[in-house]
Amino acid sequence: MLRKEQNDLLTRTGPETPMGRMFRRYWMPALLAGELPENDCPPVRVKLLSERLVAFRDTNGRYGLIDEYCAHRGVSLWFARNEECGLRCSYHGWKYDVTGQCIDVPSEPEASGFAKKIKLRSYPLVERGGVLWTYMGPPDTEPPLPEWEFITVPAKQTFTSKRFQESNWLQAMEGGIDSSHVSWLHRGDLNSDPLFKGARGNQYNLSDARPVFEVAESPGGLYIGARRNAEGGHYYWRITQWVMPSFTMIAPRGNHSVHGHFWIPIDDEHCWAWSYDYHPVRELTDAELAAMRDGKGIHVRYVPGTFRPLANSDNDYLIDRAGQKAGRTFSGVEGIAMQDASLQESMGPIVDRTRENLVSTDNGIIMARHRLLRALKAFTDSSVVPPGIDPQHQKVRSAAIVLPPDVPFTEGARDVLIARPDVAPASV
Amino acid sequence: MNSADEAHFRVQAPNSLPRATAVIALDADAQAVIERLGRTGRPQATLLSATSPDGLLDLAGRARNLREEVDRADLVVLVAGPGGRAHAAPAIGEACSRRRVMTTGFVVAATAAPEREVSQTLAQLRPWSLMVVIAGDDSYIDDMLTALRA
Repeated sequence: MLRKEQNDLLTRTGPETPMGRMFRRYWMPALLAGELPENDCPPVRVKLLSERLVAFRDTNGRYGLIDEYCAHRGVSLWFARNEECGLRCSYHGWKYDVTGQCIDVPSEPEASGFAKKIKLRSYPLVERGGVLWTYMGPPDTEPPLPEWEFITVPAKQTFTSKRFQESNWLQAMEGGIDSSHVSWLHRGDLNSDPLFKGARGNQYNLSDARPVFEVAESPGGLYIGARRNAEGGHYYWRITQWVMPSFTMIAPRGNHSVHGHFWIPIDDEHCWAWSYDYHPVRELTDAELAAMRDGKGIHVRYVPGTFRPLANSDNDYLIDRAGQKAGRTFSGVEGIAMQDASLQESMGPIVDRTRENLVSTDNGIIMARHRLLRALKAFTDSSVVPPGIDPQHQKVRSAAIVLPPDVPFTEGARDVLIARPDVAPASV
Repeated sequence: MNSADEAHFRVQAPNSLPRATAVIALDADAQAVIERLGRTGRPQATLLSATSPDGLLDLAGRARNLREEVDRADLVVLVAGPGGRAHAAPAIGEACSRRRVMTTGFVVAATAAPEREVSQTLAQLRPWSLMVVIAGDDSYIDDMLTALRA
C-alpha cells in the first residue's frame, strides 16, 4: 500500500506537480514519425503531461510542438493551415513557426513588429529511430538525445507502436515490472503467439508457475530477476530492466525480437503505452512485421483511424468467456497487450493504493515506487538529476539466461545486461 | 468519469485483516537496521535477532522461540549484511518451509560492499527466500514493511 499523499505525488504529472516537473527532465516519445509523414502535412493534436499541444512538420521538414491554442482568440491550431514554414490559424490568419514564434498577424501592419511580441510555448521535437521525441523541461537542463538501443539500431531491425490507455501511467508501468503475472494472465499465449512461441524458455515458464524473484538496483532503475528451475540444478533467469521513470524491457524469448514499453502520461487518467520490438543483430522478418502490425505480441489492433485499441472498455475488451473456459486465454481477453490493459484499466483511472494488499512477490513494484519517491525528493529538495536521464543508463538490455545455482544473476548476467552493438541478446 | 466520480462507487469497507510479520536480523549489519526500525515504531512487526541457528532474542533481550514466532507469522523477513554471516538462515528457513510461511531475504549495506561478500550472503539466503531484495538504501525496508502493511 501507499499512503494517499504518496499516491498523489507519484500519479499527478501536470505542469506544476513534483512528478510532472521530474518527468519534464526526460526526453519522452511524443509521436510516431509516421504521424507527420511529409512536409506541410496536417498538424496532429498531442496531449502530454496534461498540456494540450499541436505537432507539425513545416515546409523545410522541421518539426514543431507548440501550444495548441492561438494566442489571439484561443482557437485550436489543429484547424490551422500548414503552409510556407508555419501554421496559419484558420480564424484570422495568425501564423506561427516551429518555435511557437508568431511570424504574421495579417490585421496589423508588418512594420509595427506586433507579431514579434506573440510567442506560444514550444518544445523541441526530434526524430530518432522512427519516433518523435520531445523534451518539456527547462532549456538549460536539456539532456543529450535518447540512446535507447531500439532507436539506434538500423530501421529494418526495429518496430514501434503506441496505443491509448485509459488509466494513469503508474499502474500501467507497474504492470510492466510485475513479472509474477506472466505465468497466469499470459499463459495461453506463450505457445501460440507468433512473437513468443517456440522458445525453450517458455517451457520453464509454464512448468514453474511460482518463480522466485530477486530485485536489485541498477544505475538507472531496477533489475527484476525471476528465477525458475532448469535442468541439472541450474536456474533459468528472466531479467527485466526498468529505467526511470517509465521504460521497461522484458526478457527475450529464443530468437524472437526483444520488446518493452514506455508509459507516458497524457494526463492523470490516461497514458500512451509505447511498445517496441527490435533485434540487436538482425532485421525483423516480413512475418514478424506482419504479426506486429496485426496486433500480435505486445501490439494491438486499432479502431480505424485512431490509436485506441479495437478491444476497449466500451466493448468489454471483446471478452470471450468460452475461450476463457476452454483455457485458450486465462482472462478471456485476446492478445497480450489487451490482457494487460484491460485489467489495468479495470483498476480505475487512478488506482487507490491505500486499499491494496501487496505481498512479498510485489517487491519489484514496491522498490520502483521507493526509487521514484527517493529520486523525487532528491530532485525537489536538492535538484539532483534523476536516474535514467544519463544516456549510459539507457544502454541496457533484458536477458533470459541459465546460470549455475550459486551465481547471482547480477554477476552471471552482468555483461549481457548492457547494450553492445552487433552483439546478440542473451536469450533462451 | 473521472477518478473521484469513479471512486464514489467503490466499496470502502476494510478488505483485509492485520498481518503478522517477523523481521529477523541475522548478523550485526542487520541488527542495526532492526534497532532503527524499533525506534521508529512498527507495531505490526515483531523485530528479532538470531543469536544462534535456532536462538532468537527480541529487542528487549528476551529469548523467543523460533517455532512459535514462525507459527504466528504471515511473513518472515530475513535481514543480513554482506560477508556471509547469515548462519541462522537454514534453521529459520526450514521452520518457515515446514509451516508454509512466506519468506523474504533482504540484503542490507550492499552498495559499498565487495560483490563477493554480497554473493556470499545471497548464497545463504537464496535457498530459503521466495523473494530476495538487494537494496542500495537500507531505508527501503521501511517502505517495504509499510507496503506490506507490517
